[in-house]
Amino acid sequence: MRAYLAFTKKEFTENWRTYKLPILLVVFLLFGMMSPLLAKLTPELLKSLSDTGGVVITLPEPTAMDAWAQFFKNVGQMGMLAIIIVFSGLMATEFSKGTLVNMLTKGMKRHTVVLSKLTAATVIWTVSFLLCLAVSYAYTAYFWDMGTLHYAFLSFFSLWLFGEFLISLLIFGGILFKSLMGSLLFCGGVIVAMTILNIIPNITRYNPSSLSGATLELLNGQKGLSEFMPAFVICAVLIIVFSAASITLFNKKQI
Amino acid sequence: MPFDLTPYLPFLIPLAVIEVGLTIASLIHVLTHKTYRTGNRVLWVVLSFVQIIGPVLYFIIGRDDGGKD
Repeated sequence: MRAYLAFTKKEFTENWRTYKLPILLVVFLLFGMMSPLLAKLTPELLKSLSDTGGVVITLPEPTAMDAWAQFFKNVGQMGMLAIIIVFSGLMATEFSKGTLVNMLTKGMKRHTVVLSKLTAATVIWTVSFLLCLAVSYAYTAYFWDMGTLHYAFLSFFSLWLFGEFLISLLIFGGILFKSLMGSLLFCGGVIVAMTILNIIPNITRYNPSSLSGATLELLNGQKGLSEFMPAFVICAVLIIVFSAASITLFNKKQI
Repeated sequence: MPFDLTPYLPFLIPLAVIEVGLTIASLIHVLTHKTYRTGNRVLWVVLSFVQIIGPVLYFIIGRDDGGKD
């Protein structure tokens, strides 16, 4: 337990000093501000366009739901990309610099390394996401009447869960290939595979990729909870499976 | 008719603070370090002024860890 706490603390220090933590916070802060701003500006931009060109475009006034649509789009795509880029070196840098050898030969358990990395990445992602959500919520509530949000917790939780899924994929890929590229390609490969799977009709219900973005339909009440429940469960199971597989694999891997 | 900016001030002020802050932070880092993982000093000084993406890119891929290898 003491080793776990110490190593987790080391992870936070490392993430702070390599500017990963501040960058992620700033990026998600910006995403949080951008979403309501884009929702508010888009009609204005189109209006100024139609003033000059003679084309008349009538658009409905933006609502709080437009801001949330932007939020789900930004965090679900750009936000996930930011996670992948920042956390891709999580395992790989330890392998390439050989920094683990000392600690593991001094008796630190191998699963401690994986669990600490998972904890640190999870906490950083959670804080960034909550910051983004809070800023976005504050601006949205400031500009619009919030209206009814259906299953608010679960729709936002789905984005978080998908980010967590990516983190577990990155750690597993990093251990499997021991390189930054391997980690990136493994994570990218799984995402591409999930996107291709979406071609098969009715599989979106079970596909974790629908958790990044598609749950907007849960928030605005277009779809019921039962439509997304299988994806939630499968995503959660996959996170646990990949984390457990990471530990098993890491135990057998030569440092 | 000039575009009325007043309703957007709650966005623009924090946004400006963040962008200027990022530019200054990355400029300081670029100018006080000699080696970069990718690119060179001129490139990163110019890119520091490319809002948001430039400084972020510098800190992620351009910044050298300072290791002695």
